[in-house]
Amino acid sequence: MKEMRIGVISFEHMHAVSYTRELLSLDGVRLIGIADDDEYRGTSMASRFKTTYYPSYLTLLDQKLDGVIICTNNRMHAAVSIEAAKRGIHILVEKPFATTLEDAVAMVESSREHGVQIMNAFPMRFNPSVVEAKKKLDAGAIGDILAISSINHGKIPDGWFIDPSLSGGGAVMDHTVHLGDLIRWFTKSEITNVYCESGSLLHDKGIDDTGLVMVELNNGVFASIDCSWAHHDNYPIWAQVDMEIIGTKGTMELKAFAQVIHLDDQTHGSFEDIAWSETGDEGLIREFIETCRTGKPPLVSGLDGLRALEIALAAYQSSETHQVVPIIRK
Amino acid sequence: MIRVALLGCGTMGKIHARAYTSIQTATVVAVCDIRKEMADALATSLGCEACYSFEELRIAFSYDVLDICLPTYLHARYAIHAMKEGKHVFCEKPIALNIEDAKAMVDTAASCKVKFSVGQVLRFFPQYREAARQMQEGRIGIPRLMRTSRNQSFPGWSWENWYHDVEKSGGPEVDLAIHDYDWLIHHLGKVSRIYAKNLGTEHPGHMHSLAILRFTNGAMAHVEASWAMPQGAEFRTTFEFIGTEGQLCYDSSKDCPLKVQVGVQEDDCIIYDNPVAETQNPYRAELVSFFHAILHDRDPEVTAESALESLRIALAVKESAQSGKAVVIEEIRK
Repeated sequence: MKEMRIGVISFEHMHAVSYTRELLSLDGVRLIGIADDDEYRGTSMASRFKTTYYPSYLTLLDQKLDGVIICTNNRMHAAVSIEAAKRGIHILVEKPFATTLEDAVAMVESSREHGVQIMNAFPMRFNPSVVEAKKKLDAGAIGDILAISSINHGKIPDGWFIDPSLSGGGAVMDHTVHLGDLIRWFTKSEITNVYCESGSLLHDKGIDDTGLVMVELNNGVFASIDCSWAHHDNYPIWAQVDMEIIGTKGTMELKAFAQVIHLDDQTHGSFEDIAWSETGDEGLIREFIETCRTGKPPLVSGLDGLRALEIALAAYQSSETHQVVPIIRK
Repeated sequence: MIRVALLGCGTMGKIHARAYTSIQTATVVAVCDIRKEMADALATSLGCEACYSFEELRIAFSYDVLDICLPTYLHARYAIHAMKEGKHVFCEKPIALNIEDAKAMVDTAASCKVKFSVGQVLRFFPQYREAARQMQEGRIGIPRLMRTSRNQSFPGWSWENWYHDVEKSGGPEVDLAIHDYDWLIHHLGKVSRIYAKNLGTEHPGHMHSLAILRFTNGAMAHVEASWAMPQGAEFRTTFEFIGTEGQLCYDSSKDCPLKVQVGVQEDDCIIYDNPVAETQNPYRAELVSFFHAILHDRDPEVTAESALESLRIALAVKESAQSGKAVVIEEIRK
């Protein structure tokens, strides 16, 4: 088995830690290096994962890589992805795919032009409960899907996440994409219009932290998405992904992070729910390595990333105008 | 002692009847239903008289309060009739099916100087009362994001299947979600904007509503109400109230204290029960509160105007689902 040469660009997004950990757990994968424009963060991570630190991501991209994982801030996704594509390197880019539609289109087009696969990091597609739900839905377990209500609550992140010039937006940008992607995947249908109410309601950080989105799909299904950073600091778990699906023959309730054990920690005076099953990051990285090895399209592509981004961007527009925003594709 | 006539001996009539057995301030003088066997059974259990038409009730009995437990489309007719004869009226929710009827009820109560209240009973449910108390004490800071759900299978047990006819029941928005709209308005204030989707009459057996409410104070809510659960599914309610300093959660299926398993049968092999002390029985509490208002000549805790406002919101939710557009409440008020 040929060894896959993989690089990780930036730990600005903390998901890079679990992705890198997963990389190192796989056979036939060699972590070539870590690039980060923050020297302290880059060298600490390089030492933690026993690899080389590159101050410039371009130098890392020149190390004959098979694949690269991009976890920069959202704004940087496009520039870094396009440089990787130019060098014939397969790409896994953190979500949201980009911060503007123009960037997203350029990323998809450059990957096509250079014959590389670009994958968007939607780990929920690899969460075991989500995978099982998809199987059951496809097998007709609840008949045809009619309506969905979904929740992706989490804690409010810090740093560049709450700087719109680097993140592209707050909770609506950060969380709408996960459920938007699952809704498209489950219904095998595209979103036609979006309504959203959002605002900075909970944490007073000057960025949207609360959002309720309603989408309609071209097969007539409608779905609500609660994308709020609604969990306070002491909430027992960071993430929550719940979906309730109404079908013609039955209903399905999915709680993707329900597989936890409860910790009552006397020393820190805290309660914690600790996930014991795979969360999805594991399967995501396995899929990406498989993509690097075979060059075949991944389960979740750059186009999927672009489609999910469309929803978040339309949601922001709707929040401003209080109108239903149609998604028009060329 | 307040004398009550109970009109309608179906599901809600029975629930009210049970509450009367522990109410000291009122006594039921007669129960009335056009279904003789239903009226007789309830009369026997209450130890009162039975009659089989409203005409008979008004001629044969003296009473102070008419308690209306009829299907929704019959509320206005009997309420207004009784008010004009000087009776106080307690009416099951929803107040009516349209604004005209509801306004006529409110206006008649005012001109006839009788007390009138509506069974927006969620305000009296102990878990919702406790949530309100915690909110008032500032435990979650300023309430900002409110999620509620109220889901069940289609109520197929009703008389002449009247729930099935949206012209008579109003569908899940007017019949079911109105509980949550009412509670939210009562605790958060006015709604400014609504956007909603539903599975309507074209999906019999799957009627379902999702609504996004924006309040004038900036808070928002996601309200789900469903008749789309499979037959035999448990009735389930949840809430999640999130504020600037914390979060309150409730899920009737998780927090159920009593579970009885009686072997593997077709039906009811697991029975969930959520018993409350009679002193906390919400159907008792709403009636006690109404009688208190009569005895002390005060406004009822659930004012008729607030029940009208809750109906207005339910109808606006349906309007948004129909038009595919957001509804601005100030505009429909004009």
